[in-house]
Amino acid sequence: MRAPNKLRISLAVTAAASLIAVTGCSANAPAGSSTGGGSDKLEITSWWTSGSEADALNVLIDGVKKSSPGLSVDNAAVSGGGGANARQALAARLQAGSPPDAWQVHPAGQLKSYVDGGQVADLTDLWTEGNWASQMPKDVAEAQQVDGKYYTVPIGVHRGNVLWTNPSVLSKANVKIDPAAGVDGLISSLKQVQASGTTPVCLGDKDIFASAQLLESLIMSRAGADNWTKLFTNEYSFDAPEVKQALADYKAILSLANKDHSAITWDEAAKKMADGDCAVNLMGDWAYGELLNAGKKPGQDFAWVSFPGKEDIFDYVGDGFSIPANNIPHAEAARTWVKTLMDPKIQTEFAAKKGSIPAVTSADISGLSAYQQEAAKSLASGAVVSSLAHAQAAGAEFAQTYADAVSTFNGSSNIDAFIASMTQAQKTQL
Amino acid sequence: MTTSTALPPAPAGPRPKKQVPHNVKTSRRAAWIFAPSLLVSFLFVYVFIGITVYISLSNWKIGTSPNLALRQPFGGTYAEIVQEQRFQADIRNVVIFTIIFLVLAILGGLIAALFIHHVSVGKGLFRTVFLLPYALSFIVTGVAWRWIFAPSTGVNEILRSMGIENPPGWTTDTTILGALNDPSGTDFLKVQFGIPVALLPIIFAAAWQLVGFAMAMYLAGLASIPEEHLEAANVDGANVWQRLRYIVLPQLWPSTITCFVLLLHVALKIFDLVVAMSGSGPGFVTDVPGIYIYNYLTSRYDKASAMAIILLLLTLVVIVPYLVRGYRKERKA
Repeated sequence: MRAPNKLRISLAVTAAASLIAVTGCSANAPAGSSTGGGSDKLEITSWWTSGSEADALNVLIDGVKKSSPGLSVDNAAVSGGGGANARQALAARLQAGSPPDAWQVHPAGQLKSYVDGGQVADLTDLWTEGNWASQMPKDVAEAQQVDGKYYTVPIGVHRGNVLWTNPSVLSKANVKIDPAAGVDGLISSLKQVQASGTTPVCLGDKDIFASAQLLESLIMSRAGADNWTKLFTNEYSFDAPEVKQALADYKAILSLANKDHSAITWDEAAKKMADGDCAVNLMGDWAYGELLNAGKKPGQDFAWVSFPGKEDIFDYVGDGFSIPANNIPHAEAARTWVKTLMDPKIQTEFAAKKGSIPAVTSADISGLSAYQQEAAKSLASGAVVSSLAHAQAAGAEFAQTYADAVSTFNGSSNIDAFIASMTQAQKTQL
Repeated sequence: MTTSTALPPAPAGPRPKKQVPHNVKTSRRAAWIFAPSLLVSFLFVYVFIGITVYISLSNWKIGTSPNLALRQPFGGTYAEIVQEQRFQADIRNVVIFTIIFLVLAILGGLIAALFIHHVSVGKGLFRTVFLLPYALSFIVTGVAWRWIFAPSTGVNEILRSMGIENPPGWTTDTTILGALNDPSGTDFLKVQFGIPVALLPIIFAAAWQLVGFAMAMYLAGLASIPEEHLEAANVDGANVWQRLRYIVLPQLWPSTITCFVLLLHVALKIFDLVVAMSGSGPGFVTDVPGIYIYNYLTSRYDKASAMAIILLLLTLVVIVPYLVRGYRKERKA
């Protein structure tokens, strides 16, 4: 009896294992795309899964359903890692030749890697037809292009360099942060806060992008918007004295930050600031929605200034969608989706939920929050530059090298080592 | 099964093992039975390893746009990554992690097994208590450990209430214990070699989780030690320590080897626990090859592949001698 029993058990185990293998493989297949073929379906992927993000995405889905009644939309969002997980899942599908109908993408650098791979469709005809370029700031429109052709549409604009402040901590220390006083003014204000007995800076860089964004804001402020952009065309070097100064500033600010910064995440740091644990926190304006969700009141629990510097620089982190160049399951629906995103009304409604700013300047912003209206003004008048921390100013490889260099710097504070690895990357990766 | 009833009644006492005659027919049948699994493992393991080796030598950078041209000079990706501060930190971390983790988990498992083997009450309860963490996922326990070792909360709250002014920074500490060198940051060696303090809480968490596994292995080993040996030693007047040293431990050696090999690959491949507890850490003090591979998967496919191959080589350095030893033993038998 014993031997047949063993055989039976091992057979059962083998069967179970192969079942797991089979279901594991099929998990990669897009839901619904194999059966369809009709134009009444649309599958979109994004990394918008949190409360406010999902609400904002639903605005877009409802919008496209309105413009083509009967359309069923498959929302294949993947959460986590600031989009890294969604991009991994998308890469697997692109490699397998079964893309979704449209996917979320950051413009410029990140877009370029998909263009280089020949995976995104040229949307220039839609841009000309809708005359979209004239409806947004020049820098924003340019970020949607690669080599003069449009490959994506912007649904919203986020600002990366916002300094969130705690009014009561600042007034207790008798400090006012004036953006016009520049980085030197900022650091001396922060030292004053320290003298009053409170930690000046909240930082949460368990995910390194938070530090990378702080350092990039400092480099922008010290070197200026023009030089920042020239870093990625190799016309300006990371070896420049302004960059060195920015690294020294960064080192000073790190020493003024909470000691446990590498153990907490960006959202925990933002909440600590609003709770009064420290005076300021640099983060993109997605922190605004996070703070509102945590029940904090703008103007009361927290306030904001643009990051101090010589000029008003708008660190642009964009959200948009692209559609695949090959094997697109529902081409017509995908184009309708793209057109829907550029509707000013949809952009306003989306911004209200997401906390971003409409990319289209004709969108009505009068109903948006005080912060958003102020940021929209900066977007229209300030110098708009792309973020490196979000792989927008340059390609994914350069952005990863930068992130690694920031991580290394956080451990060693070695300015020469940082500059050596970044100038090396400028030579070989641009 | 009905045929068994037709067999003559089994003789009393242990039934002698029936030897299946080994002939051409049975070995051919065996070959057929093994063929699918051989094919699958050949395809999904060895062919894929080959592909990964090739990619690591190619120009394939962005995951979604293959470029299969070989990189010039040959092996340039390997030459590139060995110079990186991050790579050097990863190798240091994974070696330190593996050594300390193995010592803690195996010793802990041995002590727990000896304890449970000798207690007379609550054997089942203790066994479950020790084994339960092993059933949990590293992500789940990692989140709990992250809270415990968070410098501003967790265990530091207790330390502060005990009057300790400056409790340790745990995973945020960038100190390297027993540092062997002091790099300038621009020479070839870019990291301090030594024991990163930030890694210790993570090693502790991993060991805690796998002590139960080691314990189960040792319990099985203990059960197989014949009572007679211990009784004979007792009669000869051996004390507890002598019995442990000369009877029990030598007979547990096979369990130790198995534990060592099975836990080794857990240590080398560690990823989820580190991601949940600390991430890469300041200056990559807690970074491991798994996180490196994940980070470079979309931006540098060749680099991620090269790291995967290096990880494989690290494993082989230890596993191959073990396999060779096992093979030799089998041939002797």
